[in-house]
Amino acid sequence: MPGLRELQQAFGSSLGSDDASEIAALVCANGLNGNRRIQIYRNNLFVTLTDTLRAVYPVVEKLVGDGFFRFAAHEFIHHYPSRHGNLHLFGHEFASFLSEFAAAKGHAYLPDVARLEWAQHEVYHAADHAYLEPQSLTAIDPDCYESLRFTLHPARRLLHSAYPVVRIWAVNQPDFDGDQMVDLSAPGDCVLVLRINGEIEFHTVAPAEYRFLVTIHEGDTLGRAVAAALDKDRDFDLNHFLVKHVQNGTLVEFDLA
Amino acid sequence: MTPPVDGFTVQPIPARAGIGLRSEHYQDVIAARPAVGFFEIHSENFFGPGGAPHRYLETIRADYPLSFHGVGMSLGSVDPLNREHCQRLKQLVDYYQPDLVSEHLSWSSFNGRYFNDLLPLPYTPEALHHVIDRVRQVQDTLQRQILVENVSSYLQYTHSTIPEWEFVAQVAEQSGCGILLDVNNIYVNAVNHDFDPRTFLGGVSAPTVKEIHLAGHTVNEFEDGSILIDTHDQLVCDEVWRLYRDAVRRFGPKPTLIEWDTNLPELSVLLDEANTAQTILEAPHARVA
Repeated sequence: MPGLRELQQAFGSSLGSDDASEIAALVCANGLNGNRRIQIYRNNLFVTLTDTLRAVYPVVEKLVGDGFFRFAAHEFIHHYPSRHGNLHLFGHEFASFLSEFAAAKGHAYLPDVARLEWAQHEVYHAADHAYLEPQSLTAIDPDCYESLRFTLHPARRLLHSAYPVVRIWAVNQPDFDGDQMVDLSAPGDCVLVLRINGEIEFHTVAPAEYRFLVTIHEGDTLGRAVAAALDKDRDFDLNHFLVKHVQNGTLVEFDLA
Repeated sequence: MTPPVDGFTVQPIPARAGIGLRSEHYQDVIAARPAVGFFEIHSENFFGPGGAPHRYLETIRADYPLSFHGVGMSLGSVDPLNREHCQRLKQLVDYYQPDLVSEHLSWSSFNGRYFNDLLPLPYTPEALHHVIDRVRQVQDTLQRQILVENVSSYLQYTHSTIPEWEFVAQVAEQSGCGILLDVNNIYVNAVNHDFDPRTFLGGVSAPTVKEIHLAGHTVNEFEDGSILIDTHDQLVCDEVWRLYRDAVRRFGPKPTLIEWDTNLPELSVLLDEANTAQTILEAPHARVA
């Protein structure tokens, strides 16, 4: 008689492979045989995790079609098993999986679309945070501005792509009814993903503005963020972008380095 | 909508029909304020720290009693209890103060890998002691009673020695937890494993049953036989309504939930199902129309 540990080990390994012989031997064969019964659980697992991926990556699915998506999901589930009881955490490696997935090589933009959709998913559930009062900055001695370190709102993500991912995403929305053509040779996007009143927005930003935000997000000072931005655009207007990102709730805290 | 300054206080769930709250229906529920006894959520859908899901739930919580139903605790696994999962649940329970908190009498992970399904336990003394200990651990962490739900299963183990109903009853008796009796799961198992579902009802004592679940299932046909699968994607069938009527006669009126998870219909369909349950709760002896 198998102990509980041996049973769960045998059951678990039969779900992750095509071989159910070990567990099938422990299962009553009244009517359907043990292999068939394990196949039901194997199928449940695949359907649950595939549907979870589908919910997070609808644009990837639309781009590749149902059959290819199921094939990709099957491979993904095999190589990146779920590690959590909370399914909202499943699937974050899908973009990097797609970038290595030989069958998807013809769609070089797919991983970036997946990255955008994962950012959307994460931002939807991310923590809340109060906005910064603009007056709090005016109290700072201007000589100290360079040394300020800002914190980004937890519901913000930054990503960039060599492709126009925001347009690819937009033309593949269910309610989009315009021209679906996307010029893949168009300049890539730098994207700030925001949550405003619970809704997710993708804002494309200029490369200098993007460097500015990324440098801040990496924990560097305002001085270094401005230097990084000026490197991209000699006319970068710090005052304009500082006000903009305090007002849109992207910069929510600061302290003196 | 912001929560009350002093936080939420427990609002008892009446012995009435409620429905599962799914994100597709948040706005309809807030707009329509349907007359249901309570709403039940999947706890894990609110494990994220912020954003719209919590704004909706706070709004709905202000007007209705809540039940928290977990699908990811992996109660019966031999892996150590997932402390992170348990702690997050505790934070949510402390904040929203649901009247009922439930999990499944099953396992879903081994060696850190999650199968995200409700896998059947063998009904053996070893498994019984293990689950009782795990329920105690969860109740100690949450500092409250939980309910455990009987699950649908598609196989039986040759070495099981305890009838399922006795296993469920023993877990409740020895751990002090309550039972969330899923009448559809009883029916599915009775058909799949060839027992009389009324024997199951007879094996459970009325005071331990704190809630009832009702849902739809699917018949899967294979060349070597058929099997019922618990899919939560359709109307409650007539046989399950009849069994539910028997359950209400035996246990008295209990909070009853209409569960629907996939191919979600409009809110009105769930409300109609809840109305049917409500009618039975009020008159279990009346003739079926």
